[in-house]
Amino acid sequence: MSEGVLLHRRNLLQRAAVGFGGLAAASLLADSAPSVAGAEPLTTPAPHFPARAKRVIFLFMKGGPSHLDTFDPKPLLTRDHGQPLPFAKPRVQFAPTGNLLKSPWQFQQYGDSGTWVSDLFPHLSQRVDDLCFIHSMHGTNPAHGGAVLKLHTGSDNFVRPSMGSWVSYGLGTDNQNLPAFITICPTLAHGGVNNWGSAFLPATYQGTPLGNASVPSDQARVKFISNTHLPSAVQRRQLEQLRLFNEAHLAHSGPEASLAARIEAFELAFRMQTEMPEAEDLTQESQATQALYGMDDPVTANFGRMCLMARRFAERGVRFIQVTHSDSKVQWDQHSDLENGHAKNAREVDRPIAGLLADLKARGLLEDTLVWWGGEFGRTPTVEGSNGRDHNPEGFTMWLAGGGVKAGYHHGATDDYGFYATHDKVHIHDLHATLLHLLGLDHERLTYRYAGRDFRLTDVEGDVVTPIIA
Amino acid sequence: MRSDCGAIILRGLCLWMAVGIAAIFPGLGRAADESPSPEVAVRFFETSVRPILVEHCQKCHGAAKQWAGLRLDSREAILQGGESGPAAVVGQPQESRLILAIQHDPNASPMPPDAKLSDREIAVLTQWVEQGLAFPASAAVNDARKRDPNHWSFQPIVDPPVPPVQNADAAQSPLDRFILSKLEASHLQPTAPTDKRTLIRRVTFDLTGLPPTREAVTTFLADDHPDAYARLVEELLSSPAYGERWGRHWLDVARYADSNGLDENVAHGNAWRYRDYVISALNADEPFDQFLTEQLAGDLLPAEDDAQRQRQLIATGFLAIGPKVLAEVDAAKMQMDIVDEQLETVGRAFMGMTFGCCRCHDHKFDPISTANYYGLAGIFKSTRAMEHYKKVARWQELPLPSPETRAMLEAHAAQIAEKQLAIESLIASARETALKAKMDGAQATDIPESELPAAVQTQLAALRKDVAQLEKSPPEIPTAMAVQEDVVADVAIHIRGNPLKLGDVVPRHVPEVLSTGAQVQFDGTSSGRLKLAEWMTSPQHPLTARVLVNRVWRWHFGRGIVASTDNFGLLGDAPTHPELLDWLACRLLDSGWSIKSLHRLIVLSGTYQQSSQPTPELLSADPENHFWGRFPVRRLEAEAIRDALLTVSGQLDDSFGGSLLKVKNRAYFFDHTSKDLTDYNLPRRSVYLPIVRNNLYDVFQLLDYPDAAIPTGDRTTTTIAPQALMLLNSEFVTQISQALATRLLAEESDDRGRLQSLIEQVYAREPTEAELSQLLSFLQELQHELSQSSETTMAEGQQQAWACVAQVLLASNEFVYIQ
Repeated sequence: MSEGVLLHRRNLLQRAAVGFGGLAAASLLADSAPSVAGAEPLTTPAPHFPARAKRVIFLFMKGGPSHLDTFDPKPLLTRDHGQPLPFAKPRVQFAPTGNLLKSPWQFQQYGDSGTWVSDLFPHLSQRVDDLCFIHSMHGTNPAHGGAVLKLHTGSDNFVRPSMGSWVSYGLGTDNQNLPAFITICPTLAHGGVNNWGSAFLPATYQGTPLGNASVPSDQARVKFISNTHLPSAVQRRQLEQLRLFNEAHLAHSGPEASLAARIEAFELAFRMQTEMPEAEDLTQESQATQALYGMDDPVTANFGRMCLMARRFAERGVRFIQVTHSDSKVQWDQHSDLENGHAKNAREVDRPIAGLLADLKARGLLEDTLVWWGGEFGRTPTVEGSNGRDHNPEGFTMWLAGGGVKAGYHHGATDDYGFYATHDKVHIHDLHATLLHLLGLDHERLTYRYAGRDFRLTDVEGDVVTPIIA
Repeated sequence: MRSDCGAIILRGLCLWMAVGIAAIFPGLGRAADESPSPEVAVRFFETSVRPILVEHCQKCHGAAKQWAGLRLDSREAILQGGESGPAAVVGQPQESRLILAIQHDPNASPMPPDAKLSDREIAVLTQWVEQGLAFPASAAVNDARKRDPNHWSFQPIVDPPVPPVQNADAAQSPLDRFILSKLEASHLQPTAPTDKRTLIRRVTFDLTGLPPTREAVTTFLADDHPDAYARLVEELLSSPAYGERWGRHWLDVARYADSNGLDENVAHGNAWRYRDYVISALNADEPFDQFLTEQLAGDLLPAEDDAQRQRQLIATGFLAIGPKVLAEVDAAKMQMDIVDEQLETVGRAFMGMTFGCCRCHDHKFDPISTANYYGLAGIFKSTRAMEHYKKVARWQELPLPSPETRAMLEAHAAQIAEKQLAIESLIASARETALKAKMDGAQATDIPESELPAAVQTQLAALRKDVAQLEKSPPEIPTAMAVQEDVVADVAIHIRGNPLKLGDVVPRHVPEVLSTGAQVQFDGTSSGRLKLAEWMTSPQHPLTARVLVNRVWRWHFGRGIVASTDNFGLLGDAPTHPELLDWLACRLLDSGWSIKSLHRLIVLSGTYQQSSQPTPELLSADPENHFWGRFPVRRLEAEAIRDALLTVSGQLDDSFGGSLLKVKNRAYFFDHTSKDLTDYNLPRRSVYLPIVRNNLYDVFQLLDYPDAAIPTGDRTTTTIAPQALMLLNSEFVTQISQALATRLLAEESDDRGRLQSLIEQVYAREPTEAELSQLLSFLQELQHELSQSSETTMAEGQQQAWACVAQVLLASNEFVYIQ
């Protein structure tokens, strides 16, 4: 290597500190675009092929909302209420269930698409023509832990990188001063950090949590983002002094990439301290916008704030944003008292989600933002106890919106009672493949070599669900 | 982690380099002498070339099909070519049939036949041929290499001769000659020895994970004896802090954690016993063969006393502490998942083998078959690690034998026996009475209990309730997560890993490719764990000693002789110094598997004592330091940074062992409320802090602590801004800075003297005049700034200012890096 190259490399390294987002693997797959010496790093790399979505907002309904009581009405279930299921239940089940239980809610058709929605979602039902429903979702694990991990990492029995990490590994970030992958108020149960961890991918790609499910969303902050005891000017002086020491040390110890990068990391940290609180500051939003998200109602305010933050992060270039609805007591896990539990949960999320969709659309963001709603599984048409439903990974509904999917569209179906996905089945792996595809990433080529083999989010599975792509 | 074992910064570096090279040598058609460095070429191949070959070429010219006798899946195959001759001429794209074909040149068959490649793709392949046709060996999946039983690491270890060197004065020890001969072959020289201050800081952190004390530095600097360094090393090796440092290295490999993680994150309330066992074993320099055997089969070893029996039982925690899907509803699957996790961990930790791949199919790269997998799986299937597999499943804990626990158990059993005796005698006497009344010659046993008087029945019910109560509340005796023998059985091949699709039963055996010469016979009397351990610790075993010396080298130098510390298979990295690796392995065996002897060999070498500042020649010839011509600059690990912060602020509590968990054994760390009950704000050494899978202590998480669910012998080091935020803003670092400020202010001295003292404490060296004057004016400025506010007193302002200055030094590169 010539001295010229070396010097050049050293210069480059002095600016090679990695912020929240990291540099993307796919940047290396991109066209070897001509570049001038000393150009800024490729933080917005080209994907494998043209992307339909630039970012994802995943609205995770922890606990497993019932498809039978929301978006997948079953007339036969109503007709045969109290009768035994006329076919076999799965070989492994989470809890024993009895006979068929009809939905306590009425369904009506909405929009030009004539989509059936239960009375649980009076606001969301007004936006069905933006949504793309997959009624034939199925997973592999009937327990929360396994199913949540499967949904987030593609594996229920091994520690694997989470999908948000794969996305930030694949695409990097549009904003080095913010994380590429943010998860708002995630639950620490059932896989916890693994659900936003990077496992064997470098730590740069892990998700950054804002609070957790025990923290009200108005108190959800990134750890260590602000200094509570020093005036900003003093900290600025501190950083200047630190830089002097580090530069003297670097000059003395000779060229060393990591030392130079660490100098830059402190500068970047200081910039993030400004940018992150600004992104989280909802007081900058108008009253009307806040009301759109339900922030004026104590029932919807908590989740509404999370959704509004999600939009602000989306605007600022965050690649993967997860918003978790996980009530500290009930969640969407109605083994009993389905009626009250689901009614409470739906009330908390209905208006904020409808508001988010409306707001994204009004700002032109819905076009390249993929919004995704769902839980780790659905629920059984058969009754648990007297008025509950058990976990059901065999067939359930999720919906997508924006980011390159068909609007007002329905894909797949479950059987007449809604137990099993039967038509155009879509496995969690297939959904992962489809999400990556919409982001411009080939799920078979987005690999990372670890312990002797190339790993993927979709392992050896996954087919892109092309019929839902607009 | 193979090629990515470096940091994210290295990923960044490669990217930058790719951009840089493109910038310096834009366009195609450049001269051959401007070819990129190997790493750039490899990266270019992996990111740009390989995807094209895979997508457009290898379906017809690869492992499955070889149209026209041509394969395009290795450099050799491309150069050898097919029916029409070589497919490429290195450096000559326009002479290469491959390039002509994709250009649809009339002199070649147009390829791919269905659709022409894009201009960009054609340009990429052209550039690739032009620049040397780099095709990394590990990515070349040709049959000759694939599943190769002649792979270097499967061959017996041979004691190599120490190589001759030209400049014998530059080699202090035989080890140095292995390093020097390679350097000399490239016309290079090692770097000069480092200074004593740097050396004591380096070796003290390396062997104990702590900074040297000021006294130790002063003593060492004043000691002019030739053996001063050797004596320092002995002192460090015999310090209890040594085991806390090197035990922690092993705990990375043992994927140690105080919680289960995965789906049901419940507390491993007794895992700490295994952690303390590891630390003690390292401190006692327990021979590694014994250490290995205890962890795999400690329960099967003879023991002279209770203490030894306890220790050996606790050691088997190695097999028990893995993450488990405890709410798995399919019990058969759960059992095989647990066996798989044990087998994969044993394979990786001790042999650098990835057996787990063979659960579903023959290994794609290593000569290990599915039958080999189930041959080993039988050993662990015959081993009991679980109390039951019912959801939520419970792992097994075994009582630790001692006279006290035995007495407690016996007393408890006696209480139950006493009650049962009372029940029996009450029934017998009541029946006697009833029999006398009947006088019809019936047998006493014919009288059912229900015909006995009501008073008797009431008494019986009460007694039985007592028994049930006693059985439900056994005495609380200490237990350990440990394994024992189960029903001994061979296991059938699970077709594609599916417990519902069974194939042939495979007798337990060890893989043929790792034969040590002697036959290992498994029988129906035991799971075979002891035999497995005997086989693994045989001096003839090709992997165990090599893998261990490579791990130790990695922990001393930051990179292994084999960079992929956990993978010695065909996809692992080749050793940079294969003879040195074998030589070290032989010395390990000579010393009776003594790890401390191995440390001495390494840290007393000239190679270890080199300066970290390379000469310009070295830097340009070996920028990545593959020849070890200098000591690598390294950031301290998470634990060492935290322990160093506690030490320099005078707060470290160096007491040994025990549990710091606040959550009860088997209790959940988090319920749906996600509230964190774990307290990390304790001045104990980091190795003793709770390691909670799924929710690692954030200071650790940020500083590249490995995932505690996966064996890790090669931690990454990332440089990311959130680490800086933690050092600037966390309560932990603020508190450390305040404590250091308080200490300094308590010193009988002036500002200048205190600053001198601060630098000595934090950096283990004298300050320069420039540093002192810089810090003095910085301090005065801060004191002025921070005393202005009306709420702050002068004293508070002064304290705050000193804390600010201290924090600068604690956050600085010099503090967190080893030179």
